Amino acid sequence: MSEIKHIVTLTASALNGMFLLAMLLALAIVLTTAMVLQYGFGEIPCPLCLLQRFAMFGCCFGLIKQLHSDSESGTGISLIFSSLLLVISARQTLLDIVPRPGHEYVGTAIFGIHMPVWSIFIALALLIGLAVRLTLFGGLRSAPAVESHLIRRSAQGLAIYVVFICAVNFLSVIVQCGVDQCHTSEYRLLH
Amino acid sequence: MEPMMAAIYATLLIAFVLDLLGHQRFAVRSLFISLALCILLFLWEIYSPVYGFRMPWLQVEVAPLSAPFAG
Repeated sequence: MSEIKHIVTLTASALNGMFLLAMLLALAIVLTTAMVLQYGFGEIPCPLCLLQRFAMFGCCFGLIKQLHSDSESGTGISLIFSSLLLVISARQTLLDIVPRPGHEYVGTAIFGIHMPVWSIFIALALLIGLAVRLTLFGGLRSAPAVESHLIRRSAQGLAIYVVFICAVNFLSVIVQCGVDQCHTSEYRLLH
Repeated sequence: MEPMMAAIYATLLIAFVLDLLGHQRFAVRSLFISLALCILLFLWEIYSPVYGFRMPWLQVEVAPLSAPFAG
């Protein structure tokens, strides 16, 4: 009986880890895509776009923390930053929804949808994903700690990659904005 | 003086590095400092001296009352 319980706990632990890892991977792909669009296609991000990226990095922080601990504080951090992402992206969509001089959507549309609107979808997906995870693995007892060696190694590698792209974004912000207000017209330090 | 984007990303990066090094408590503190700076910058960005926080270009109008609700 105790062996069956142990197997169930191990399975729940592995599923919990894979769920968190999938969410972290999805966010890393979104952030990498944003960087490819910026550096490969010359699309300079607007200040609110940079704040949305920041909110996504905050979600990543929470997910990484959750992967390494058996408390739910990481999920709480991710929920805070998902809500922040939803607020910022919804406000930007409402700012740009009516075409006015100087208030058009920044950047090209992907599948006909601009980045702030995509950010709303991403924020909603994160909120739903975190709620589903809490429903499946949360509850009165804390979620089972991730014990799988493979998942732990993958999480470590992905965490280092997220820190790397965060560092690249920090340098990019310095080049674009200096230590002043950001503009979408140019990289301040390159002119 | 508005909060700087560079400060937000700097504190975020510090939080990530501290977390990687195992200083979880300081990492979370740094993360919440960056969150506070982000909220300040967001409010600064969306505030207009003319409109405040309102968005008057989003027009709404009162729907005409149909017969069942007209009283």
